[in-house]
Amino acid sequence: MPTAMRSKGFIAIALLPALLLFLIFVIIPVFWSAYYGFFSWKGFGDATFIGLDNYREMFKDPIFWRALRNNLILVVSSIIGQVPIALILAIVLFKNSFFSRFIRSAVFMPMVLSTVVVGLIWGYIYHPQFGIANYVLEMLGLESWTRAWLSDPKVNMLAISIPINWANIGPYLVIFIAALQNISPEIHDAAKIDGSTGWNKLMQITLPMVWSTVVVTIVLCISGSLKAFDHVIVMTGGGPAQSTELLATYMYNSTFSVYRYGYGSAVSTMIMIVSAILIALNYFATRRKSS
Amino acid sequence: MNLQTTGTGSASGKRVITKGLTGFVKLLLIVYAILTLYPLYWLFTSAFKSNQDFFNNPYGLPKEWMTENLFRAWELGNMGRAMINSTVVTITAVVLTILLSLLAAYVLSRFQFRFKKLVVVLFTTGLLIPIHSTLVPLFIMMKNIGLLDTYGALILPYTAFELPIAIFLAMAYMSSIPREIEEAAMIDGSGWWGIFGRMILPLCTPIVATISILAFLRFWNDFSFALVFINTQALKTLPLSLSLFSDGFGTDYSLTMGAMAIAVIPTIVAYLILQEQIMKGMVAGSIKG
Repeated sequence: MPTAMRSKGFIAIALLPALLLFLIFVIIPVFWSAYYGFFSWKGFGDATFIGLDNYREMFKDPIFWRALRNNLILVVSSIIGQVPIALILAIVLFKNSFFSRFIRSAVFMPMVLSTVVVGLIWGYIYHPQFGIANYVLEMLGLESWTRAWLSDPKVNMLAISIPINWANIGPYLVIFIAALQNISPEIHDAAKIDGSTGWNKLMQITLPMVWSTVVVTIVLCISGSLKAFDHVIVMTGGGPAQSTELLATYMYNSTFSVYRYGYGSAVSTMIMIVSAILIALNYFATRRKSS
Repeated sequence: MNLQTTGTGSASGKRVITKGLTGFVKLLLIVYAILTLYPLYWLFTSAFKSNQDFFNNPYGLPKEWMTENLFRAWELGNMGRAMINSTVVTITAVVLTILLSLLAAYVLSRFQFRFKKLVVVLFTTGLLIPIHSTLVPLFIMMKNIGLLDTYGALILPYTAFELPIAIFLAMAYMSSIPREIEEAAMIDGSGWWGIFGRMILPLCTPIVATISILAFLRFWNDFSFALVFINTQALKTLPLSLSLFSDGFGTDYSLTMGAMAIAVIPTIVAYLILQEQIMKGMVAGSIKG
């Protein structure tokens, strides 16, 4: 039998590599960015302590607020665009027939593509000269709707949200199908005996049964939308005139384009705070529902 | 469709309507699937067109299938180099993730020790930290220790960020392995390393598959870390080269499409072969994450 000493040695040697790597590359940077956020620093030379000035400047910068608003637009659009479509698809596709398997794998396919490829393809789809978005509108006789989708500040956040929704419906579909298949057959039988069918059954039995799953997918939408950095960098770079800036691209541009490391760190810290607030809000909202 | 057909057995007229409805739903679904796949179809057809063909006839099939684009894109974009970089970085990071996460998960699921709770809480917070908020401090740190512009600048953070989810998936799986197996091995005189290597690892194959799929797709497709931590041409991974390629050859659209086609072929082939596992793996990963 392994002795207590040998167990201790095993625990240390087996756990430490993972723990150290994780601490160094994930946890410590969080504290570093909080620390650097109090400095004015160009990335070389001396850093000057300036207290909360970076944060004051951030709150006065209209671009920061636009970036925050754009992030929230993506959160809302993915909750509206992904969850209902995925749920409807799941309800019609939950049988394991060949047909529904085929549709499922088609819907899931974009999920395995790199975000760069997704961004580039959709950049071309929106292209003012040869993009198919305008071509389809012209065919439908809606010439007045055609526009430069990624340049027009009125619609470009919406245009950016579509490929993100396109790529992310797949996993939600699979999650919902799993939830629907978990509903026991007795419940379906009971519904049949009660004469509850179609729409009635959907609203009174199916939806309440999968409601907890809906909540999970909404949480995933929130955290997923904070990751939209790649799409924006590839499609617009945050422009034109910083109209599609997200918090993460705002941070990236202030750090690596104008070399303000202190300010960039303050924005990083702010991203952390915003996501903590969103997660906390969501936690309290869902806790109340379940109790 | 099951929902509409249950309980409508009485009147035959009703049955006809249901059948029509089912057909209509199927049609809608097929249209939806085509819409989803269209951007990919467009990518692959455009990749084989000449630029002139692309502008005159952007949505049809190529007049002439030009494989030349793919070869030119491969050459001009240094795609071979990028493919090698992506492969080296991805495989190393996947192996490292599996090794470290399984060992850690084994310790956390089988042993009681001081600070265990703290370690679990730490890894849990790791799931909640937005990746992009660490880009700036990581950049500064790697610059200071000279890690920028090396394979390590990608391999180490990839692994570190994948560890929490991998550990939790592995812990959940290991808790289903009965302890009697290990007790028997202990009586035979095996040490912990022997038990881990000879008994636990082979039993963990299914979860290793899930973790590998998740990690492979995330590392292979990552853009933001590569964008910030890699500057040298010779070290650029596929997504990074692709984004630069499209900047550099902005108006040569069919060439850029060719480069993209090359880049997506590996993941699409993997997806076509491993569909079910990939779907399950990504869903398991996203729910825990």
